[in-house]
Amino acid sequence: MKTIEVSWRNLWRNRTRTYVTISAVALCIGILIIFQSMIVGLIDKAVFTTTNLVVGEVQIHADDYLNDRSLYKYLKNTEKIKSIAKKNNIGLVERSYGFGLISSGTKSAGTQFWGVNPESELMHFDFAKHIDQGTFLSSSSSNKIVLGNKLALSLAAEVGTELVVFVQGADGSLGNELFYVSGILKNVADNIDRSAAIMLINDFNILFSANNMIHEIALNSKGNFEAEEIQNLMSAEIKNVEIDTWKQLMPTISLMTEKMSVFMRTLFSLIFTIAAGLGVMNTMIMSTYDRMREFGIIRAIGATPWRIIRQVSLEAIILTFIASIIGTIVGLSVALYFQKYGFDVTGQGNLSIGGVVMDPIWKSSVSLGIVLLPIALMMLISTISSLYPASIAARIKPVEAIHYKK
Amino acid sequence: MNTNNEIVSLTNIIKNYDNGKVITKALQGIDLKIYQGDFSVMMGPSGCGKSTLLNIIGALDRATSGSVIFNGKDFNSLTNKELSIIRRNQIGFVFQNYNLLPVLTAYENAEYVLMLQNIPLSQRKEKVMNLFKEMELEGLENRLPRELSGGQQQRVAIARAVVTNPLLVLADEITANVDSKTAQSLLMLMEKLNKNNNITFLFSTHDPIVKKFARKVILLKDGRIDKEELSSENI
Repeated sequence: MKTIEVSWRNLWRNRTRTYVTISAVALCIGILIIFQSMIVGLIDKAVFTTTNLVVGEVQIHADDYLNDRSLYKYLKNTEKIKSIAKKNNIGLVERSYGFGLISSGTKSAGTQFWGVNPESELMHFDFAKHIDQGTFLSSSSSNKIVLGNKLALSLAAEVGTELVVFVQGADGSLGNELFYVSGILKNVADNIDRSAAIMLINDFNILFSANNMIHEIALNSKGNFEAEEIQNLMSAEIKNVEIDTWKQLMPTISLMTEKMSVFMRTLFSLIFTIAAGLGVMNTMIMSTYDRMREFGIIRAIGATPWRIIRQVSLEAIILTFIASIIGTIVGLSVALYFQKYGFDVTGQGNLSIGGVVMDPIWKSSVSLGIVLLPIALMMLISTISSLYPASIAARIKPVEAIHYKK
Repeated sequence: MNTNNEIVSLTNIIKNYDNGKVITKALQGIDLKIYQGDFSVMMGPSGCGKSTLLNIIGALDRATSGSVIFNGKDFNSLTNKELSIIRRNQIGFVFQNYNLLPVLTAYENAEYVLMLQNIPLSQRKEKVMNLFKEMELEGLENRLPRELSGGQQQRVAIARAVVTNPLLVLADEITANVDSKTAQSLLMLMEKLNKNNNITFLFSTHDPIVKKFARKVILLKDGRIDKEELSSENI
């Protein structure tokens, strides 16, 4: 006969109470697993969208370009950057930016023009695949343009619509040209949706009378490197430029991923573990008072208070262990389902966090930590919760307990 | 079988219960000695202090004043933990309501106190099985208390009390819940254990059957020893 066996038998003396408590704790564990995996899935998706869609893990600009997006603040020596990226197998795209006016019929809008290399964009980023109507650019798409969806809406433009573009060139001349809409992007990010007009870099150079003015290099290793590693790699060799990670470029998303997820996960973990802990404590207190006389007998025949504490705590631990198995099976099954099929939030409109438009299918992200954390928390809180009833049982005066009446 | 080895010596034991409003004087100056091999019974009307005295001798409760010397140790100088150890190793208890642990089988109930003493499994098994044989409990080892009759439960409770071979067994109204035939057989069993194993018994009872078996009768009245008499019939 072992203490664990005695605890097990004691647990099943009041089956209904044990079943109810196990169900409550299992439910809390299951909900925590599902909730945490959904939060992590959302955060992972936000980071993935942020870095893979268009921003990249690191961006390089000329000094002060982000404060003053002047056509003339371009990167002078891009070859060195390209060589470091190539050596480390980091994806790289070059982008040129300029501002001007775009009009379609009677409608016009201020626009940020992008000059891009479509092959590089397709290879290293996803936004070129985010086409709602028409097609993205190809190397032969001369005088074609891809519009952000809100910009297209404000211009009442469709695929094939003729657009007139007016800009001030780098040499001070007026640049104007006719373009045709090749495609319209899906939701990408608010600033892109409202103002981006994307063209071939050659068209950009002609329009802005620019000689390959690269304003931005976006680097994306697709998770092979941490953003800070790429930043350090580049900073070591490239001087007099601004090298920013996506976290620095998009502090809202960074804050959300690093702080909010921790806050939300901690808050919900606390709520559910405290609720479960109180349930376990309540059960153990009822069980202790039910067995007051027995504890008195055990004390009378020589058991130390510590032995009684161990026995009562062990009952709580066994109860939580059973609940953990059930809660994990249920929670993990649901979390894995959502990891595969996701949760469709299309009906709620665009899901946008910090200006980054999320995939309307919200998927969970399951990991070992997500499963183990709630179990470890529940085990800990149950053990702590059992100490109070255990101490009641241990402090019993045998002579009083033997004559105790329920 | 009095060997004149003193196990318990009580000197001027006073026990008062104070509920904040009324002080009840349960024991008012008890002097008593119990010797190894005694088979004694405490009798007296309800409220005379029998159970209180039994609890104090058994280290389940402390006296308000006076001294309890048990096997040379003064209870007043011992901590609660040290009293627990004395109860575990040197005192056995048999209660009126059997008070077996309901989730343990008959065997496990008897074994439990040996487990508390950290006796190895093989020795525990040998001790319990030998005792069960001696006490005619063979075949009932795997039964839970609820599957046993009152007499059988009390036998198991006696087995639990004597399995550690204690210096003293305290038995509180043990025949109260059994019929006279069963009471007789229980007392015969305890008398046998007293004679064969030299275990000292002290009973608290109203039951005249117990008196018949006792070699010493202690009569209590109003918290005092009214009379101590030896039974010539049983000496």
